[in-house]
Amino acid sequence: MFWRILKKDLKRKRTMNIILLLFVIICSMFAAASINNIIAVTGGIDHFFDISDVTDIALSMPAESDLADRIRELPGVSEVRTENYIMVTGSKNFSRDGVKLDNFINPAFFISDDNMGTKYFDEDNNVITDVEKGCFYANSPFLFNLDIKEGDVFDVNIDGKTLPLRYSGRFKGALLSHESFANPFLIIDSEDYNYLDQDENTDFNGLLSMTVYVNTEDVDAVRELIKDSESVSLSTREEMKDNYLFDILAAYLLMAISVILMFTGFVVLRFTIGFTISEEFREIGVMKAVGIDNRSIRGMYIVKYLAISVVGAAIGFICSLPLTDAMMKTVSENAVLDDNNSRFMGIFSSVLVVAVILLFCYFCTRRVKKLSPIDAVRSGQTGERFRRKSILHLGRSKLPSTEFMALNDVLSAPKRFSIITLIFTLCMLLMMLMSNFALTLRSEKILWVFTVPECDAIIADVEYFKELYEDPMTYRELLDDSEKMLEENGIPGKCSTAIGARCETAYKDKKANVGYWIIKGRDDYRQRMIEGSAPQKTDEIVMTGKAMDSIGAGIGDRVRTVICDKEYEFLITGRYSTFEYNGYCALLHPDFEFAPTRVNSTMGLQIDFDGDPDKETVERNIEKLKEIIDSDKVYTPSEMINSATGMSDTLSAIKKLMMILTVVVTSLIVILMERSFISKEKSEIALMKAVGVSNGSLILQHVLRFVITAVLACIVSTAVMMPLSDLLMNWVCSMIGDVSGMKCAFDPLEIFLICPAILIGVTVIGSALTALYMKTIKASDTASIE
Amino acid sequence: MSTVLQTKGLCKTYIVNKRQNNVLKNIDLEIKEGEMVAIMGPSGSGKSTLLYCVSGMDRVTAGEVIFNGKETAKLSDKALSQLRLDEMGFIFQQMYMMKNLSVLDNIILPAVKSKKNTESRKATEERGRALMRRLGIDDVGGNDINEVSGGQLQRACIARSMINSPKMIFADEPTGALNRSSSDEVMKELISLNNDGTTIMCVTHDPKVAAKCSRVLYIMDGGIVGEKEQGRFGGNDAELRSRERELNNWLMEQGW
Repeated sequence: MFWRILKKDLKRKRTMNIILLLFVIICSMFAAASINNIIAVTGGIDHFFDISDVTDIALSMPAESDLADRIRELPGVSEVRTENYIMVTGSKNFSRDGVKLDNFINPAFFISDDNMGTKYFDEDNNVITDVEKGCFYANSPFLFNLDIKEGDVFDVNIDGKTLPLRYSGRFKGALLSHESFANPFLIIDSEDYNYLDQDENTDFNGLLSMTVYVNTEDVDAVRELIKDSESVSLSTREEMKDNYLFDILAAYLLMAISVILMFTGFVVLRFTIGFTISEEFREIGVMKAVGIDNRSIRGMYIVKYLAISVVGAAIGFICSLPLTDAMMKTVSENAVLDDNNSRFMGIFSSVLVVAVILLFCYFCTRRVKKLSPIDAVRSGQTGERFRRKSILHLGRSKLPSTEFMALNDVLSAPKRFSIITLIFTLCMLLMMLMSNFALTLRSEKILWVFTVPECDAIIADVEYFKELYEDPMTYRELLDDSEKMLEENGIPGKCSTAIGARCETAYKDKKANVGYWIIKGRDDYRQRMIEGSAPQKTDEIVMTGKAMDSIGAGIGDRVRTVICDKEYEFLITGRYSTFEYNGYCALLHPDFEFAPTRVNSTMGLQIDFDGDPDKETVERNIEKLKEIIDSDKVYTPSEMINSATGMSDTLSAIKKLMMILTVVVTSLIVILMERSFISKEKSEIALMKAVGVSNGSLILQHVLRFVITAVLACIVSTAVMMPLSDLLMNWVCSMIGDVSGMKCAFDPLEIFLICPAILIGVTVIGSALTALYMKTIKASDTASIE
Repeated sequence: MSTVLQTKGLCKTYIVNKRQNNVLKNIDLEIKEGEMVAIMGPSGSGKSTLLYCVSGMDRVTAGEVIFNGKETAKLSDKALSQLRLDEMGFIFQQMYMMKNLSVLDNIILPAVKSKKNTESRKATEERGRALMRRLGIDDVGGNDINEVSGGQLQRACIARSMINSPKMIFADEPTGALNRSSSDEVMKELISLNNDGTTIMCVTHDPKVAAKCSRVLYIMDGGIVGEKEQGRFGGNDAELRSRERELNNWLMEQGW
C-alpha cells in the first residue's frame, strides 16, 4: 500500500519532487567532485612525492658550493643527491622558426638526463630515464601561452652558441611548480647539456646552480651547517608542497561551494518536507485514527525521500566524473595521481549524501509524532496556540496594498524568509568574494606586499637587467642608463629597482636564512608598516613577523647579518608584510650599500613617468618602451601582479562558475519555494480572487516577497563582504607569505550592480514564471478547499 | 425596480474522465434590485455552481450572465476581478480569511485594493471599524483570525463583503458552519443589509434561513424547477414560523 501512496505522491507533487531531485543531484555531484579533488590534491601530492623519490629536504645553492659533500658527512644523513642546472635569462634565449619566444618571464633551467635528482615523468606517467640527443622535455611554465606540438624544433641561444632542440613532450616534476609564473625547466640529453655548459662563466646566461636532495633524520643539523652560507635556501618536504598551495586552495574553495550547496539542498528539503506534511495533516490524521503507528507514517515519507535521494545521488555521482576531471585538469596534467581512492571516496560521498538526507528527513518528520489524530485532522491547529501572525497594520500603512501584503507575508513568516535570505546571501557572498579576490590579486594597490614602489610601468625582461644578478652594485648604471633612455625617447620618468638576496641573520644564539630586500632609486618610497616605523638610517631594518620569530628577535633588537662575508648589525625598527621569500624577509634602508655575493630575486625595473600621465598615455608609453627595448615584457603594475600571484585567473574562473551556480541554485530555490507557497496558500489565493483581487496583483505580491528577501540578501552580503574579504584574503596570504593588513579591492560595478542584478533578476523571473501557476486557481476553488 | 442580475440559457458543463457532466442546464433567472433570493435544492443539484457562475467566480459554458448591465462572459479576467471587487460581496460557508492579517485588516482589504475607493487609508479603517461596530464585533478588530469565534469570524466576513458597498452580496451557505444562535445573528445582519437596499443571493440548505428571504428558487438536476415568492420578511417570530411552515410544505411538493 505504501508503494501505491508513494507512487501517487511522486506523481501528484511532480514539480516539487523534480526540483528536490535536482538539488540532490547538484549536492551529490559537488560533494563527490570536491571530495575527489581534495583527496587527489592532498593525498595525490604525497603519492607523487613518494614515486618521484622526493627527499626529506632540498637545498638550492650555487653550483660551485661544496655543501653537498659537507652534508654527506653529517650524522643522520642517509642519502644525498645533486641536480645541476644551467640557467638562461628567459624566453628570448629560445626561438622557433627564427622567432624569439616571449611567453615566460622567469629564467629557464636546463637539467641533464644523467643528473636528475628526482624522478621525472612524461605525459603518460612513465619515468624519464634518458632523453634522445637533440631533444627536450619541458614543464608547464615553458608551455604557457605557447602553441606547441611534439617535433617542434627550438633554437637555444646562449652567448652566441646555438643548439637546436626538438620538443618531445611535457614532463611532470613533483618539486617544479606548474604555475605560469614559475621557472620553466627543460630536461635535455647529457651531451647537449655539456655542450651548453662549456663557457659557463662568460656571461649571466649559462650560470650554474644546483639542488641538493637530502634524506636525513636530523634536519636541524643541516640547518646548522648552512646557516653561514649565503644564497642557500632549504625546504622541507612539507614546505615543498607549497608548490601546490593554489591547487589545494582551489580544491577547498570548491569544497566550500559544495558545503553551501548541500546546506541549500537541506534547507530546500526541510521546506519540502514541512510543506508536504502540513498539506497532508488530514491524511496523517486519518492514518493515525485508523491505527497506523508513527514509525510507519514516517517510514512512508522516508521511503519517498530514499527513492529520490538514491536516484539523485547516483545521477550526481555520474555527473561528478566529468566535473572532477575538469577540476583536476591542471593538477593531473602536472602530477602523477593515484586516483583509485578518490573514485571510491566519490562513491562514498554520494552514499553519505543519501544517508545525511535520510537522517535529515527523519528529523524533519518528527512533527508527525507530535500530532494527535485530531490535531492532524484540524490541520495542525489545536486551538491552544495563539501565535501572533499579523505584524503590520494595513490601515496604518502607507504602502500600496500589494506591497503591504508582500512585506506583511515576509514579516509574518520570519523563519522561512530568513532562511531564504541566508541562502541568497551565501550565494551572493561567494560571487562577491571571488570577484574581490580576483580583482585584489591583480590590483596595483597590493604592490606594497611585493615591496615594490608605486609606478606606472615595470620592465620584467631579465635580459634587460641581468647585470644586477651578477653585481647588484650595477643598479646605479642601470637606473641612470634607463632614465637617460626614457628622456631621449621623449617619455621621461624616474626609475627604481627592488632586489633581494638571502643572507644569514643571527640574534643572540639563533640563526636563520632571511631574504634581504632593498629598493634603489626611489628615496620617497615609504614601506607600509604593520607595526613600528620604516628604517630611517642605513643600520636600521624592518622585518616580517616570520623572520623575527625565526631568530627570536623583536622590534628594538639588534640583529647580526653577514653580507658578502662582512658582518653588519641592524636595529629592527618595525614589522612589515611581504610575499617575498615565503614571508621570511627584511627590508633595508635605501641608502645602504647592498652588495651580496649573489642576487636571488628582483621585481624588475619600475618606471614612474614624469608629469602624472593618464592611463592612455601610460599605455602608449609602455608600447613605445616595448619597441625601444625590443621586448614584450613591459607591464603595467596590475599585469605584473596578476602574473606574480597567478591565481587571479583561477579565481575569475571560479567566480564565473559561482555566477552560473547562483543562477541555477537561486532559480531552483525560487521555483520550489514559490510552488510550495502556492500549494500551501491555495485557499487564500482563491479567496483573494473571489473578493476581486486580480491575477497580476497576486503574482506581483508573490514576486515581491522574493524581491524583498533578495534585496535583504544584497544588503547583508554587501555589509559583510568587505570585512569578510579582508579576513579571508589575509588568512590565505598569510599562508603564502607573511602578509597582514591587506585591504581587498572591489569593483563597485560588479558588487553593487551586476551581482545584485543577477540575484534580483533571477528571483523576479523565477518567481514570476512560477507564480503564473496561480492562474490555474479559480475563485470558485474557495469553496472546494478543504 | 431595476434588474441587477439576469441569466439567459446559462449552461455549465464539466468534463470528468472524458465524460460530460451538465451541472447547469439552460437557466433563465432574473433578480431585481433589493431582492433577497434563496437558492435551495438537494446536494449536487448545482446550487453553488449557479452562485459561482452568476457571480463571475466561474466561467459559464454557454448562455449569458448580465450583472448590472454588463455581460460577464465577455469580460476579461481582470475586468471580472474588478467587477467582483467593486460591485459584489461574498460570504462563504467556511470563514476564509488571510491568516497573516488581523480581523480589521481582512475587512478593509477589498476597500484598499479597490481603485474606486479614493478615501484615505485612515478613513477606510474608520469605515471598517464602523462596520464592525454595526455587526457587534468592534472589540476584535486587532485580533488575529485564530483568536475569534466562528460566529464573530462570519460576521467579519459579512463586514468584508460590505466594505465596498456592493450592488449584490453572494452568500454560499453563510450559516452552514454556525450554531443556531450565531446563525440567527448572521441572518439578522443579512436581512438588515437587505433592508438597506443591498441585493442578496444566498445558497442554503436551511429552510429557516430561506424563510427569511423574499424569494426562493428550487433547483434540481441543474435546472430551476420551482419558484416561491414570499415577500419581504418583517422580522417577528410569528411571521417567521408561518413562512417556515409554508416553505416546508412547498419544499415537500418540490421533492425535498
